[in-house]
Amino acid sequence: MNDAVRHSPGLWALAWRRLRADRVAMVALAIVALYLVSLLLSATGVIARHWDAEVGVSYAPPSFLGAETAAQRDAPRIKVPPAPPAENPRDPLGPLLKRLRAERAAGQGGIDYYGIQDPLAGDITKLRAKLRAEPDAGVAKKRATLPFGADKWGHDIVQKTIKGSETSIVVGLTAAFLATLLGTLFGAISGYYGGWVDDCFNWFYSVFTSVPYLLLILAVAAVLHQKGVLTIVLILGLTGWTGVYRLIRAEYLKHKQREYVLAADAIGASHASRMFRHIFPNVSHVALVQLSILTVAFIKSEVILSFLGFGVPVGVASWGSMLNEAQNELILGKWWQLVAATTAMAVLVTAFSVFTDALRDALDPKLK
Amino acid sequence: MVLRKGGWREWIAAGATISVLFIAVTAGQTAWAGPNTATSPADPHKVIHAAFVAADDGFDIARTYNAYSIWVAESIFEPLLTYDYLARPAELVPLTATAMPEVEDGGKTYIFHVKKGIYFTPDPAFKGQRRELTAQDYVYTFERLLDPAIHSPSAYLLSGRIVGLDALVARARKTGHFDYDAPVAGLSAPDRYTLKVQLTHPDFNFLYAVAYPALAAVAREVITEYGAQSGAHPVGTGPYQLSQYVPRSKIVLTANPDYRGYIWNFKSTGSAWDDQLVREMRGKHMPQVGRVEISIIEEDQSRWLAFEGGQLDLVGLPQSAAPIVMDGDRLKPAFAKQGIRLYRQVLPAITYTLFNMRDPVLGGDSPAKIALRRAIAMSYDIDKEITLIRQNQATQAEMIVPEGVVGHDPNYRSSIPYDRDLANRLLDHFGYKRGADGYRRLPDGKPLVVHLTQEPDSLSRQYGELWKRGLDKIGIRLNITVSNFADNLKAATQCKLAMWQSAWQADYPEAENFLQLLYGPNIGQGNNSCYESKAYDALYRKFLATPPGPARNALVIEMNRQEEADTPWILGVSPVSNWLVRPWVEGFKRHPIMESDWQYLDVVKH
Repeated sequence: MNDAVRHSPGLWALAWRRLRADRVAMVALAIVALYLVSLLLSATGVIARHWDAEVGVSYAPPSFLGAETAAQRDAPRIKVPPAPPAENPRDPLGPLLKRLRAERAAGQGGIDYYGIQDPLAGDITKLRAKLRAEPDAGVAKKRATLPFGADKWGHDIVQKTIKGSETSIVVGLTAAFLATLLGTLFGAISGYYGGWVDDCFNWFYSVFTSVPYLLLILAVAAVLHQKGVLTIVLILGLTGWTGVYRLIRAEYLKHKQREYVLAADAIGASHASRMFRHIFPNVSHVALVQLSILTVAFIKSEVILSFLGFGVPVGVASWGSMLNEAQNELILGKWWQLVAATTAMAVLVTAFSVFTDALRDALDPKLK
Repeated sequence: MVLRKGGWREWIAAGATISVLFIAVTAGQTAWAGPNTATSPADPHKVIHAAFVAADDGFDIARTYNAYSIWVAESIFEPLLTYDYLARPAELVPLTATAMPEVEDGGKTYIFHVKKGIYFTPDPAFKGQRRELTAQDYVYTFERLLDPAIHSPSAYLLSGRIVGLDALVARARKTGHFDYDAPVAGLSAPDRYTLKVQLTHPDFNFLYAVAYPALAAVAREVITEYGAQSGAHPVGTGPYQLSQYVPRSKIVLTANPDYRGYIWNFKSTGSAWDDQLVREMRGKHMPQVGRVEISIIEEDQSRWLAFEGGQLDLVGLPQSAAPIVMDGDRLKPAFAKQGIRLYRQVLPAITYTLFNMRDPVLGGDSPAKIALRRAIAMSYDIDKEITLIRQNQATQAEMIVPEGVVGHDPNYRSSIPYDRDLANRLLDHFGYKRGADGYRRLPDGKPLVVHLTQEPDSLSRQYGELWKRGLDKIGIRLNITVSNFADNLKAATQCKLAMWQSAWQADYPEAENFLQLLYGPNIGQGNNSCYESKAYDALYRKFLATPPGPARNALVIEMNRQEEADTPWILGVSPVSNWLVRPWVEGFKRHPIMESDWQYLDVVKH
């Protein structure tokens, strides 16, 4: 056995070499990596931790546009003259509220320490007295402009976009992983065993695909009823496995007749071992490509779901929820949230698609 | 009627059943045998293009209180009385009655005379006969509202009010069949054109009920013929008839050729707007508009663009578009230059967030539960809702009875302020202790989660954000469930929702219409808070027995205070409506109670 043969590179090494040669793919990979790094940083709280702080005025424009004039900002409004709340003689809580108000006026209470003596009580009382003297001291002034503007509540759009990217990418990746896992597992069992097992899965698959995709998603959303990131992952994962299943099943049908599988059978390898130790590595590139295709599709699906109001819950930023908000902002000429979310999404989705394409080429041994 | 909260125009959404009825109706196109005495002066070339914010629910108003159904039905069906087009506050005038009814027996007996020679629009159900409107039709219509098989949401208008009718209803409940032919002591037609109604007790709002669209005459033959499909086959005596109906998409009305017509002769209230209307319209034979095309455009932005693009002749300005169209309370010059006119009014409506008083977490009468609801109420930043979400197109509601409704007191101030600090103190006092995560537990140490139900639109999400912000600050965990409006309304009616945002617009301009929403016996038919308070109910009964005047208004105040004390609701706002009208539409003035206005309009050549 000579050296050349011993060091003959494997499928993955070859694929990497081919990928490296593709400059566009490498740029795309770099962009995707950049997003993943920002995801990690924001998930660990290094950046965009305080995205939901109200740092700017409502709809503060981007800094490069300059602040709005007071006339533009303070539209005339109907205002009920401020009056002290009335006394309600029927209120069972009336006397208590009166006492609580009196306590507040005297600067007492506020936080109930449940009987434990607060060692800082004296200092806090002093601070409170100072706060009362200068009411604005404790509140940071809201900024008139932010690097890329603010939304309705005064959130910094840049931070919100980073946080939104985190949600969207996490949803996309985990849902795609779940769907690929399900699809691969079902496809492997179905294709490997054939016969009635295959028939059962095929029936299941056919029933599943006969329901229009969006309706299926909305139906699962209605059944799960609870809003949450996990819910969306489940919705997308549970409805998205069908494509993967079909491809993997076909691969297994093809491979189970190959000599190396028959050889494995001859040396007494179990079914599971043949399925996952022998055949799977030879079809894994299909699963990998499917994984990345699904990631892109699911990022888009999350956006659609959130846009339709079935997506992430209130208080969580995602690209979809940002676009949902932007619907009403565009008519007012506040375009920055829309631009931020769509740009972030378009760049990632394009980069991911280009990368997936190159990956598919690189992993296909027939293409040289 | 129930309004959809959110954009004030986003009212009740259509029920689920209608979506299967894809029927194009061709009412009135069958030739009928009788002599044609077409009198309607309407010109088929005068077309109004309008838009609805949500779908209707069929046009059988006994079965629905969908505002859009009513909108259309008001131009097809006619009650005995209606409102004067211009008078404010709204004022009743006779419609198919010859005059206002004769009142006898100290307010217990009402005698109406129906005008002679009013005919229903032709329909196969009449078997080629010309069908005149008679007093018997009103007897049938009134009875039908209480037929248990109809499940009318408007049954409260007559329930318990007419002598002998409730006994008939009770019998129908037992036998499963409502006997329309059985005589009712308090509801009779002594002759063809006379209707006599005897009430169980003097009722100062009975005539408002008579003017409500659910009591507009329907013909028994038509209802029998179409049965459950009656909503798609409206046959009335009014100025318009349904000529095309694609549920959830398009409604086309054409002038009823057989309509008797009337001459526009309304009196100005003295405002410049009214004076102009009188100048434009006085003496015209009505209706002028021959065709009304209504599109259902649910998205604000699309509806606004349709108006801007000239596809709509008039539009209720979506509040999201208010900042680009208006400077404060007037039109921006760019729009004024096009001749567009703006009609602006505070609606006789309120928005509110209800607590389910039977909910295990939020309901209950103990001080700790009241304190929890009160704290939640005090955490909501209504000012932000008005400025940020509603674009200043609303005023804060201080009492249950809004402006423009008898019983409203402009000097009344709510006793529940927006005060998060006080809310925190209140919760601390009752032992809702904060855990390590900053969120509070129930006094018994169990986790405290508040469930708010919403609809899946972008406005709801903004209210959700505002709620979450407020509740986070007082350490209460919020969970939002999203479902469609029809399902939410159903669940709320069955006392199954914990917290829900709702709204109500006056059916008639009297406090009762709002106060009945909290009356204990109305649970399951409007009292979606499932609020039962002995004190409130006693006040309500006393209120009903008190004639209009200061004593009655004082009771309204008492009931408001009782509501605040128990806090089954968090009051929101009274929305401001802005209507934009193209210059060629004449005679437009939005009525606070009536929806329909096409029969009062004219279109000049453009």
